[in-house]
Amino acid sequence: MMQYTALPEEVLMSIEKPERYIGHEINAVYKDKNKIAVRFGMCFPDVYEIGMSHLGIAILYDMFNKFEDTWCERIYSPWVDLDKVMRERNIPLFTIESQEPVKNLDFLGITLQYEMCYTNILQVLDLSGIPLISTERTWDDPIVIGGGPCSYNPEPIADFFDLFYIGEGETRYRELLDVYKASRAAGESRDEFLHKAAKIPGMYVPRLYEPEYNEDFTLKAFKPLYDDIPTKILKELVTDLDDTYYPEKPVVPFMKVTQDRVVLEIMRGCIRGCRFCQAGQIYRPVRERSVEFLKDKAEKLLKNTGHEEISLSSLSSSDYTHIEELVRFLIDDCTKKKVNIALPSLRIDQFSVDVMEKVQDVKKSSLTFAPEAGSQRMRNIINKGLTEEDIINGAVLAFKGGWTKVKLYFMLGLPFEKEEDIEGIAKLCNSIAAAFYEAIPKEKRVNGRVNITASTSFFIPKPFTPFQWAVMDTPDDFIRKAGLTKHYIHEQLNQKVIRYIWHEADVSMLEGVLARGDRRLSRVILSAYKKGCIYDAWSEFYKHDAWLESFKECDVDPDFYMYRERKDDELFPWDFIDCGVSKAHLLREWKRAKEGIVTDNCRTRCSGCGSARFDCGICINGR
Amino acid sequence: MKVRFKFSKHGVLKYIGHLDLMRYFQKAFRRTDIEVLYSKGFSPHMIMSFAQPLGVGVESDGEYFDVEVADEEDISTMVAKLNEQMAEGVVILDVVKLPEKFTNAMASVAAADYELNFYKESPLSTALLDKYKAADAVTFVKTTKTGEHIINVKEFVFDIALKDDATLFVTVDASSAGNLKPANLLEALLKLEDKSVADYPFHILRKDTYMRDASGNLVPLNKVDYE
Repeated sequence: MMQYTALPEEVLMSIEKPERYIGHEINAVYKDKNKIAVRFGMCFPDVYEIGMSHLGIAILYDMFNKFEDTWCERIYSPWVDLDKVMRERNIPLFTIESQEPVKNLDFLGITLQYEMCYTNILQVLDLSGIPLISTERTWDDPIVIGGGPCSYNPEPIADFFDLFYIGEGETRYRELLDVYKASRAAGESRDEFLHKAAKIPGMYVPRLYEPEYNEDFTLKAFKPLYDDIPTKILKELVTDLDDTYYPEKPVVPFMKVTQDRVVLEIMRGCIRGCRFCQAGQIYRPVRERSVEFLKDKAEKLLKNTGHEEISLSSLSSSDYTHIEELVRFLIDDCTKKKVNIALPSLRIDQFSVDVMEKVQDVKKSSLTFAPEAGSQRMRNIINKGLTEEDIINGAVLAFKGGWTKVKLYFMLGLPFEKEEDIEGIAKLCNSIAAAFYEAIPKEKRVNGRVNITASTSFFIPKPFTPFQWAVMDTPDDFIRKAGLTKHYIHEQLNQKVIRYIWHEADVSMLEGVLARGDRRLSRVILSAYKKGCIYDAWSEFYKHDAWLESFKECDVDPDFYMYRERKDDELFPWDFIDCGVSKAHLLREWKRAKEGIVTDNCRTRCSGCGSARFDCGICINGR
Repeated sequence: MKVRFKFSKHGVLKYIGHLDLMRYFQKAFRRTDIEVLYSKGFSPHMIMSFAQPLGVGVESDGEYFDVEVADEEDISTMVAKLNEQMAEGVVILDVVKLPEKFTNAMASVAAADYELNFYKESPLSTALLDKYKAADAVTFVKTTKTGEHIINVKEFVFDIALKDDATLFVTVDASSAGNLKPANLLEALLKLEDKSVADYPFHILRKDTYMRDASGNLVPLNKVDYE
């Protein structure tokens, strides 16, 4: 038997983990390319193990391959070792399934999950032999389309894409493919096709829109070049999550990937409007899948993959209406099948502690809390509806259940932060340790003592959040604040049991620039790529100096994006997108944050964010 | 009930390493209705024992693993059931029931035979094989945690033969204590003529894996003597 590989044997034998590149995994879809009208390549611009763990791609891969006229294949960034070999030997980037050059495809879809993957987009295009700038492409090149959370501000990478799909992928791809087929059959030009595509709801063709800047480089206007395409693009979303695509036979990789398990997406959106969180806004309104749907999928997915673990996925699983029924079902079913259950993003309460005791090895595992801020004042500013009492009560429940390891996640550099808020992080950790010694008598302390790990990341303002107006901290501020946190932790009575870790500041700076960037950044990203930047999300490959040089060469000031006070009425580069939540609501929330006023969650009381116009989910039922 | 499966591994699946192949089979069993027994404890795992791990890049016609299944399982349908769950490149060839207290696959392995072919030019010749046979010691340097060791491959080769100066057939020790990798044998062999293996890209096929029967003869791992 001969199975073709794009990479010759001596290359596969000389690189790390050749399993990343060979395909033929269980449930991978192979079709006869001669009977196919549209070939779609779905790319996650990072290494295979990361990309293969992404549920969104699994959903779209399944959807596209259900279309009889379409074959969807997968594409990942070659790891740095293979990247080098491919450049030296002029091997074009290939798809995992057919192992054919990406350039043979009709579409190259790239998912944009985090800003730090932007240079990897250029890596993928470059290795594929596709011109990096969209206007230089011809029909010899695939249509390059972006989607995913970062497409809510596509401007920094606008030059590299022919098209962006704004919103959830399940709804409009069929229409796009049909327009494409008709356009090709009619012998139309690429420009003609893109103009037609721009009329499909949710589609954004960057070259058909033009920004106009003020003298200070803030945006003056952002207009379409034609009057038959929308000035504002409304995001797409699935209104009924029980009546849509969900893969029952996802691909099972040979190698151990990050998510080596069945992933069950229980709902989309989040009822809690944490003011720093982009996902909490752009996925509104909350829509749940029915418990019957999920039970059925869980059984089929376990049967069809053979995975030994299942995990629930959502932004806040405890808020799922039928969480208890679903979890009890899974415990019964999975225990029979010797399947482990992973329950991330469960709030720590009596129910979750009871459940975790059943599904986890208490001695080994740790419980995670995400207070995000150390003081009540700051938790009110960010609208994290969690009190110190909630946290301590949850921790005590966990300690009584036998856990001794607690992880706490915080952010530094949040808007209006004072030194007392930073000190609050240390104090909260100390109170949790004290609660352990108070709640658990000496003879019952399993490992003798409690272990608390406090971890801080640096706050990065994101588009479509109430904090999109916020000034970001400088790397120096961050380092100073991390130092302060450490100092205050050392001052605590229980400091010996508290471990403190923090994230690097330089990468956060770049993420801050790209997140709220405009079209002028495309040149900077291109320049950084030409200086060898790829895999910026991997700290061992991140080249901060190369980025700084690129900003300088392109005469773009990174401080403009991070440290500038934004006026209430500033026109943002992403304002041409309508994510459902109105700018007026975000501004109202920004003002309430300044005053430390908490806003109710969607289930308690509607705050009139604007998402009700979608007429689905929590906006019409279940408050 | 303990059973021993025989399978072959070809094509691109030769790039799947041993640990991932074990995970692959565990998931494959879970997709069938064959009831495999699990270890006790908090994180139960399937009770499986693989014979000799196959190196990445090596294909095989004779791989084995043992697994414990429920007593009421029907052995006659198992090969077909598992084959339904295989990726293209792995074929289940056989299954046999193991007697009580039979040595597990890993501990049973005594030898394996291999076929080596060259993608381009072959460095082999009858003269080279004669030199090998005449020499007292044919060596390579093995680097381990304890340092560098000079290994005389002749102590681990049970049989060696050449066909058309192009294909080498060898039977070598594959026991856990004395396993000789065919690539190392080739390295030692070519050193006799001051040649380097790196200059002659080659392909390895494991033909079968053997254990010793009661009289000390090499027999394939699935030729279980029930006497």
